[in-house]
Amino acid sequence: MTDQTTEMETANVDSCVQIGSIVSSNSHLDYVVEVYKDRDCERPPKLSEREFGQPVFIKKTIDGTEHAVMGVIYDTQLVDPDQGRTGPRLAQDDQAQFTPGYIEERTTLAGVALLGTATVNEDRTITDPTHRMPRWTLEVDDTVYHCPDEITASFHTIDGQIQLAYIDRLVDIAGDLGAEVIVALIDRLRSVLPNEDPNQRVLDVVEQNVEWQAHERRGVV
Amino acid sequence: MPGHEEVIGTVAGPGEDPNEFIFVTPADQPIKTGEFITYDVTVDGESRSVFARVTNRELIRGLPEGFLADPEVGPETVAATLGVPTDDTELYRMTATVIGFYNTNMETFANPRQLPDPGTPLSIAPDGQLETVLPNLGCDTVETEVTQLDGVAHIGWLLNRPERATNIHIPIEEFASTHLAILAATGSGKSYTASVLIEEMMRPTSRASLLVFDPHGEYDTLAEMQGHESFREEDGYEPDVVYYDPERLQVRISELEIGDVMAILDNPSNRMQDRLSTAWRSMQNQESETWGIDDLMTEMRSEFGGNDASVGALEWRLRRSIQRNDLFDPEENVPLDEIIDPGQCTVLQMDTLDRRDQQLITTVLLRRLYRERLNDVRGRESEVEHPVFALFEEGHRFAPTSGDAPSLGIMRTITSEGRKFGFGLGIISQRPSKIDQDVLSQCGTQISMKIRNPNDQDAIKKSVEAAGEDVLRELPGLTPGQAIVSGDAMNTPALIQVRPRRTEHGAGSLDVIDKWREAYDARQREPTRSESADFGEGDSTGVQSLD
Repeated sequence: MTDQTTEMETANVDSCVQIGSIVSSNSHLDYVVEVYKDRDCERPPKLSEREFGQPVFIKKTIDGTEHAVMGVIYDTQLVDPDQGRTGPRLAQDDQAQFTPGYIEERTTLAGVALLGTATVNEDRTITDPTHRMPRWTLEVDDTVYHCPDEITASFHTIDGQIQLAYIDRLVDIAGDLGAEVIVALIDRLRSVLPNEDPNQRVLDVVEQNVEWQAHERRGVV
Repeated sequence: MPGHEEVIGTVAGPGEDPNEFIFVTPADQPIKTGEFITYDVTVDGESRSVFARVTNRELIRGLPEGFLADPEVGPETVAATLGVPTDDTELYRMTATVIGFYNTNMETFANPRQLPDPGTPLSIAPDGQLETVLPNLGCDTVETEVTQLDGVAHIGWLLNRPERATNIHIPIEEFASTHLAILAATGSGKSYTASVLIEEMMRPTSRASLLVFDPHGEYDTLAEMQGHESFREEDGYEPDVVYYDPERLQVRISELEIGDVMAILDNPSNRMQDRLSTAWRSMQNQESETWGIDDLMTEMRSEFGGNDASVGALEWRLRRSIQRNDLFDPEENVPLDEIIDPGQCTVLQMDTLDRRDQQLITTVLLRRLYRERLNDVRGRESEVEHPVFALFEEGHRFAPTSGDAPSLGIMRTITSEGRKFGFGLGIISQRPSKIDQDVLSQCGTQISMKIRNPNDQDAIKKSVEAAGEDVLRELPGLTPGQAIVSGDAMNTPALIQVRPRRTEHGAGSLDVIDKWREAYDARQREPTRSESADFGEGDSTGVQSLD
C-alpha cells in the first residue's frame, strides 16, 4: 500500500508521480505501459507506486475540456531482450570493455485496463466520474500517472455511493487475475473510507461475491 | 380486445401437462398464484376468451443470492455498486392451467383443446366476467349482472382480488339439491360460513325451508335475521327463526324402527332380539301409533308367555333405555309442520342431549321428513309440501365412518336419493376423515377451509371429485375465513374470502383468560373461611390407617 502522507499532499492531478508511457495496446480498453526507470524521468515511480491493482490515469484534453481517463494496473511483465541469448561477443581485441546501449532495454511492462473517465476541474481535482467505457483512444507515448487514493475514492463515489460499475469489463480484460484486481481495488477503497462508512459493508459483500465466484470458477468449491 | 384489461404477460410456450402453458411477466405485474387470466383464441371461426388459472410462479431473472450475504446491506445497494440495473429486472416464469372458454350454450366451461401460441398476450380476467362464469349460474352471456339473479347466495369474493371486487354468488338450488359439505379445522370459520349461507338462503329472494341440527348451540344469533332490514321484503316477508330446545325434542316410540331400538339396548342376546322384533313388528302393524313400553310388554307376554326369561330381561333393558329417557314418549312427537315451513329456519338445539340421543332424534326426524317428501313427490298426501334443506353441525356425529350410528343409514339414503325428492343435506365437520365416505362423496358442493391434518386432507382428496391437486395444495395455507369452493355449484373451483355476516356471530372459542380472571375475582370476593366446608357427610376421605 502507498504511503498515506504523500497521497494527501499529491491529491492534485498535476503533482502525481509519472508511472510510465503507453507503448502499445491490445484493445480499446487494454493498454501496455512501459514503466519509467531512473533515466527516463526525474522521479521514477517507487515499486509500491506501480504495484498490482494500482489505479492510474492519463490526462486527455478533448474539445477544450481536460479529462482524466482512469485505469488500473492489472498485470505486469518483465522484458529482457538478452534472455535466452548467449550474450554479445567481442569482435575486436582493442576494445577491452563492451558496453552496448541495449543493456538498458531490460524493462518492466504494465497492463493497464481502462475503467472510466472524469472531468478535471480548475482546482485540479476530478468531478463527474463515469464508469462507462471511455470512447477516446489513447496514444502511444501518453504519460500514465499514479492515481492517489483520494482521487481513486472520488472516482468511485457516485451520488455518495461507492460504485464499481466497470467490474464486468475489468473481469473480461484482466482474465485470470480479474478477481484479484477487484479485491485489490476494494482493499484500497476500504482503507480510504472511514470505518463506520455504510459503504464498507457493501464492499464486503461485493468482495465476498467476487472471491466466491473466482473460487467456483477455479474449482476450489 | 373489448372489456379486457391491460396486458400483463406473454405466453412463452406449452407446459408439462397437456392443459398447461408457461408465460413470462415482469416484476411490476404482481400476479399471484390462483389468479385468473384470460387470452383470446379462435374457436370455430369465433373469437373466444379462454380463462386460465395461474398455478405456479418462479423467478427466472433476478439478483443473485450472493448479493444477500449481509442482511444490513440491501441487494439493490450491492447491485448499484456493481452497476447492475435494478429497476424491473426481475422476470417471472408463471405456469397456468387452461380452464376453458365459457360456452354460452352449454353454460359451462369448454376446453378449446388448444394451448395459446407463444407470444399471445395475456390479461387479468375482468371481475364482471369471473362473477358470471366461475359459479354455476347458467348465464347465457359471458358478462351478466349476477346480483340481479334470483336464488343466489353471495358467499364472498375472490381471495386474490381486492375486497369485494369479484363477488362470488353460488346458486342455492345447486347445493341445496345435490348436498353441501363444509369441511374445515376448528376455528377456521366453518359455522361462520354456514351462517353466511343460512343468511343468504333466508333472504327474500330465496325464502328457504331450513333445518339446522346444532349439537353445540352455536347458532343462537341467527334470530337477529328477524327484523333485520336486509331480510325484509315489501310483501311482508320476514324470515322466521325458531329455536327448538332439547326439552321439546321428543320421539314417539312407535316411530322407532327395530334397528334403532337394537342400537340403544345393552347387548341384547339373539333370543331377546328375536322376541323383540316379533313384538315390535306386531305393534307397528296396529292402528294405534301411540303405544308405550307397557303396551309392548303386554304384547310380548301374550306372545311368549309371562315366564319367558328373555322377555323379563328385555323388559328391564327397555324400561331403562327407553321409558326412563325423556326423549321418548308414547304419544308426543316433534310436529313437522312446526319445524318445517318456507321462510323458516329451525335450529334444533341438542346441546344437552347425549350423542346417542342426538343420533336417534336425528334418525327419526330425517326418516319422517324423507317419507313426507317421498309422499309429496309421488302425489300422495304429505305434511311437507316443499323442498327442505337440513344442515348438520358436527356432521361426523351423524354419519360416522365407524358406522355405528343409527342415523347413518338414512343419511346415506338421503344423500344418494334426496335430490329427486327435494331433500338436501349440508354436512359441516372438522374431521372429514371421520365422515362416512358414501355420504361425503355424495355432497356435490364443497366448501373447504384450512385443514392441516393429513388424514383429513386425504379424505377430501378421495371423496371430493372436483378438488384438483392445485386446490388441495392450498388447504393447509388458508387462514380463517378463507375457503375453496368447488363442486356442482361452481364451474371451476375458486379460492374465496367468506363475506362478513349480516348478523353477529355466536360461536367461536370461549375466552378462557377472561373467564379465569372473572372466576378468580369472584372467589376473592367470597368471605374467607377459617375451615373448609366438609361435604363428605361425615365419612373421612383423608388418609386412612391401613391396619
